[in-house]
Amino acid sequence: MDSRDSSSAPDRDCSAGDDDGGLPVTAALAKEASLHFQSRKFADCVDVLNQLKVKKEGDPKVLHNIAIAEFFRDGCSDPKKLLEVLNNVKKRFEELAHASGAQVESGSSSGNKLTPDSKGSGTTIQQLSSDSASIIYTGEFDTSVASLNMAVIWFHLHEYSKALSILEPLYQNIEPIDETTALHICLLLLDVLLACLDASESADVLNYLEKAFGIGNVNQGDNGNTATHQSTNLVGKSSSVPSSPFVSDASNSDLAASVNASENPLSRTLSEDRLDEMFSTLDIGGQNLARPSGLASANDHPRITVDRSISGVDLKLKLQLYKVRFLLLTRNLKLAKREVKHAMNIARGRDSSMALLLKAQLEYTRGNHRKAIKLLMASSNRTDAAISSMFNNNLGCIYYKLGKYHTSAVFFSKALGICSSLQKEKPLKLLTFSQDKSLLITYNCGLQYLACGKPILAARCFQKACLIFYKRPLLWLRLAECCIMAVEKGLVKGSQSPSDRSEIRVNVIGKGRWRKLLIEYGISGNGHVDSVEKNDWALGCDEQPKLSLPLARQCLYNALHLLNCSDWSNSKSVLPSSLSLEESESNDGLSSKNPIHKKLPGINSMASTMLSGLVNSNGDLKEPKGGANLEIVQNSVSYYEDIRRRENQMIKQAILANLAYVELELDNPLKALPAALSLLELPGCSRIYIFLGHVYAAEALCLLNKPKEAAEHLAIYLSGDNNIELPFSQEDFEQWRVVKPVDCEEPNGGAAAAKNPSHEGLQESTFLKPEEARGMLYANLAAVSAIQGDLERAHHFVTQSLSLVPNSSEATMTAIYVDLMLGKSQEALSKLKHCSHVRFLPSSLQLNKSS
Amino acid sequence: MGKKMLNLEEQCKILNLLKSSSEQKSIEETVTDFFTNSKLRHFNVCYSLSLLLQDKMMLSSTERLVAFAILHRSYSSQKSAANPFISFLVNAACDDGAEKYERAFILQLLSSSNSNSSKEFLKQSASDYIKNFDPSSQNFPQREQLQKQYYEKVHPEPYSCLLQNTAVKNLLADPDVPCGCDANSAEDEALSGLIANLSLEGLIPHWIRPVPPRFPVDEELVWLNPDNSHELQWDQGMCADTSRGAAVRDLIAKALKGALAPNQQEQVLVELANDPKLVYHCGLTPRKLPELVENNPLIAVEVLTKLINSPEIAEYFTVLVNMDMSLHSMEVVNRLTTAVELPKEFVRMYITNCISSCENIKDKYMQNRLVRLVCVFLQSLIRNRIIDVKDLFIEVQAFCIEFSRIREAAGLFRLLKTLE
Repeated sequence: MDSRDSSSAPDRDCSAGDDDGGLPVTAALAKEASLHFQSRKFADCVDVLNQLKVKKEGDPKVLHNIAIAEFFRDGCSDPKKLLEVLNNVKKRFEELAHASGAQVESGSSSGNKLTPDSKGSGTTIQQLSSDSASIIYTGEFDTSVASLNMAVIWFHLHEYSKALSILEPLYQNIEPIDETTALHICLLLLDVLLACLDASESADVLNYLEKAFGIGNVNQGDNGNTATHQSTNLVGKSSSVPSSPFVSDASNSDLAASVNASENPLSRTLSEDRLDEMFSTLDIGGQNLARPSGLASANDHPRITVDRSISGVDLKLKLQLYKVRFLLLTRNLKLAKREVKHAMNIARGRDSSMALLLKAQLEYTRGNHRKAIKLLMASSNRTDAAISSMFNNNLGCIYYKLGKYHTSAVFFSKALGICSSLQKEKPLKLLTFSQDKSLLITYNCGLQYLACGKPILAARCFQKACLIFYKRPLLWLRLAECCIMAVEKGLVKGSQSPSDRSEIRVNVIGKGRWRKLLIEYGISGNGHVDSVEKNDWALGCDEQPKLSLPLARQCLYNALHLLNCSDWSNSKSVLPSSLSLEESESNDGLSSKNPIHKKLPGINSMASTMLSGLVNSNGDLKEPKGGANLEIVQNSVSYYEDIRRRENQMIKQAILANLAYVELELDNPLKALPAALSLLELPGCSRIYIFLGHVYAAEALCLLNKPKEAAEHLAIYLSGDNNIELPFSQEDFEQWRVVKPVDCEEPNGGAAAAKNPSHEGLQESTFLKPEEARGMLYANLAAVSAIQGDLERAHHFVTQSLSLVPNSSEATMTAIYVDLMLGKSQEALSKLKHCSHVRFLPSSLQLNKSS
Repeated sequence: MGKKMLNLEEQCKILNLLKSSSEQKSIEETVTDFFTNSKLRHFNVCYSLSLLLQDKMMLSSTERLVAFAILHRSYSSQKSAANPFISFLVNAACDDGAEKYERAFILQLLSSSNSNSSKEFLKQSASDYIKNFDPSSQNFPQREQLQKQYYEKVHPEPYSCLLQNTAVKNLLADPDVPCGCDANSAEDEALSGLIANLSLEGLIPHWIRPVPPRFPVDEELVWLNPDNSHELQWDQGMCADTSRGAAVRDLIAKALKGALAPNQQEQVLVELANDPKLVYHCGLTPRKLPELVENNPLIAVEVLTKLINSPEIAEYFTVLVNMDMSLHSMEVVNRLTTAVELPKEFVRMYITNCISSCENIKDKYMQNRLVRLVCVFLQSLIRNRIIDVKDLFIEVQAFCIEFSRIREAAGLFRLLKTLE
């Protein structure tokens, strides 16, 4: 201890100053600076701090406050620089702490070696404590405020994972941190976790906040709770008077302690009569001491709010709003409804705009779009530009869900416009950075463009949003969809327009007796043909991605990889067997290119250790107080995880289907086949995707010269010998769309969303109707039969197919093929002449001209 | 447009070649002329010719001979089995519907690759060959024999897509009979048109490949709520008065070495109560706990109670369990049990240690004292329902029986019996 004191430099300075009567000077300066800071006179504040800096050279806390004050003085213009300065301050803290702590540490460890413990466990303890000592520094080396400020900046810059990496260690060691800072840490952490959609850890922090700050327990009078603690605190403060010397020991367990304390202090020496005294103490204690039931709360260790900037009610409202946000995140809508009502009650007579906004979000989520619009209108003062931008964005969301994509486009672009004007605004506030939601709005824009069939614009949006969403599998799936759509629409270099694609071109050559028809069809232009002949007309702008099928493939592998990572971390219960295939698949395509790859496991493992640590320190979870609350929260979390799992399954189906398709388009049946097969293996796969899986697998097999196996995939839909069933029904579409069971307790919720027409509309038209799918199966079965040489069967199937999908040029081509193979060239000719997709071209005469 | 098999130059070349076949030039010469142009893509040219040859009406008899010669000579430097058109040639040689001279010509071509001598027949022009052809001079071997002779041990066909293999020629005759008067000029036109438009692909059965549907948008749209305004924090700890904390640290350091005076003890407790965080930097570490327990058990209780939520509390407990048994450690544990909820495992281990300490102690007097102490301690725990007797019943019972000579042990035994 002594050595530590003498070596702690700032402390030394301070006490030295004390002797000279200098302490009041620094303390007074500190107070003055703080007052300037609070009244936002930052220039004055910096002046005072600079005086202080002279007196306390190298004191990291002074340096820290200077950095903060200068940042504000300079108009918050350079948050990255502040981060750098704060990082240096932190290093300075650590140097000092190390310089003073090192001696203690080394002394202790050598002491440990010299006097080995009687029990072996001593060494491990030593190790543990020294480990943790290297993480937390307390007292004058306390870096928690500096760390918090760094996290605040990262948060405002939307760098959530960086903020998390700072906040999580702080939260793990929250106890030694003073109340105000601890509260700020918890609130910030909660915001970050909610932004990261991390339900389980949000739940944890929420629970901790409610327990530690004694607010938010509905089942127990909150006021009573805080009041008692204030009173005990008062007792503690005024305890210079009390008759018994150990009253202060009563802070947590008045009853027990008062009984004990009324006894004489025991056992100074082990004399016989003292021992008897102890016996009697214990006996008396034993008889009188029924364990007070409220005692469990001692473990909760409620904190008293010291922060005057947040009043009790404000904090209560704040926590209530967090709770609503948490419930909305976990889609526990029924509870969210109840809690938002509660929030409205608390907010009565105060600013209720946030509560209203959450209520609007609730109604939006429940599919009550009209109500949501109404609430949204009521919630915001649209004079504030930042709020107004969010307001427009939210309206855009609602109109999108109503199927009015063009209206939603108007709102989204309005929201973006406000955002960009906001950034030009001076003076900047730190909040300005976080209020810049343009990337999020841009993502919404991307979805809207995709819905309107504008893949290039959509891709540009998704590419921008990539900066914050790069860890979301869905983003990569959307980018792949953009590529596929662009290629499909012929908007990409080398791709054909849909009409070109389905066109059968017939060159008419010669005249009279010599007239010949030369049929050309389905020559896709993606491959290895000399590219000189192609005209580069599609993409002009340099900065945007060149949408292509190889890019789609890359995106899909990214998505798959991210999905497998999250599967792995979210629930170990997911069968790894089904993943192994894609894992190996994705590795070869991805490992070199993907920077995300390495970051993920670290974060996850940290999260899990953190979680386990919390369970330990919280101890028993079945305390009577707050138990119901905890249970609700836990249920929400597990419910949410269930939803996420299902959602991930759906995403995975989509990814694999797209992957199989893209590989086929890229003439790569060898890779398309495993994608299609693992799609078929997915548990709970939608019938629509099962259909696609079979069709893709069959085609891949056919291309790999395995027509028999290909036929088996299609034969699944055969009933009897020659009849094909509908591969899926209209209801499958409904099921597939309304993934959400919407409300865990409210059965009507699902129905409400189902009858809501918003989901349908454009999307439906982009995919096959069940009858068309059936026609398609006939056509493909005909193709397989033809390849196998069973021309009669092929003829039957293709006839069926043409009756279901008469406009399919592929089916027509197969029919012509079959006719030709059967030697019925006249029938082939007549089919050709009656097909709507045929274009007859006069033979080119260029040769004659040139020769 | 689709891929054309021939570029313009190749098209011209072929047309010229075919026209020149009717001239009085030897076949050899015609063929050599043709091959002087190295830019030709042999396969494409040959494939085009083979397509034209398949249509028996398209080419004149002399043109056909030259075309066959080219098909053969293009690959004559290699073994006949390596000629991609070998099966086409063999089939043509065996085609009963074809002219005899043509079949004979092909047979001669095929056999010419074996010996140099028999190349004489190429020295005449195509028309002369036909004119001079003597059907009796040639015998026509069976297809199987030819196959055996020229296919050799051909590797099984190299990989190619089955769909392509099953392709049918994408050329359909669609004669427009009524106006078929101007035959010859139309033929020329058809020929050049064909040559210009031939493509490698034939007709194949077509697969319908559905485009996967777009993933539905559910909770994907981002709804925006204003953020909470997290402001940068001023460090209030700057130049804070640390003297009181220092005083407590000094006192704790003293408390490790000996009992504090009552007023010092009070000062520590008051300061700890005033600043709930002080306990985290009062200088105590788990390793130092035993000294504090021995010298100032009440302060130890207070400190541990305040540290109950600390991440380090488990280490403190471990130290407490493992330190030597004494009145003071027992007092600390006893008070802790009433103040906070201790981990069950910790209490259990502590009791087990108590009992084994009693058994191991050598000094009879000290043993008696320790046993009495443990008994009172256990009774207290049982009465306060800190422990569930069932968990430790056998262990405690054995302990009572072993030390039944001691009054307190007998008392504990009776207590156990009443609970049974």
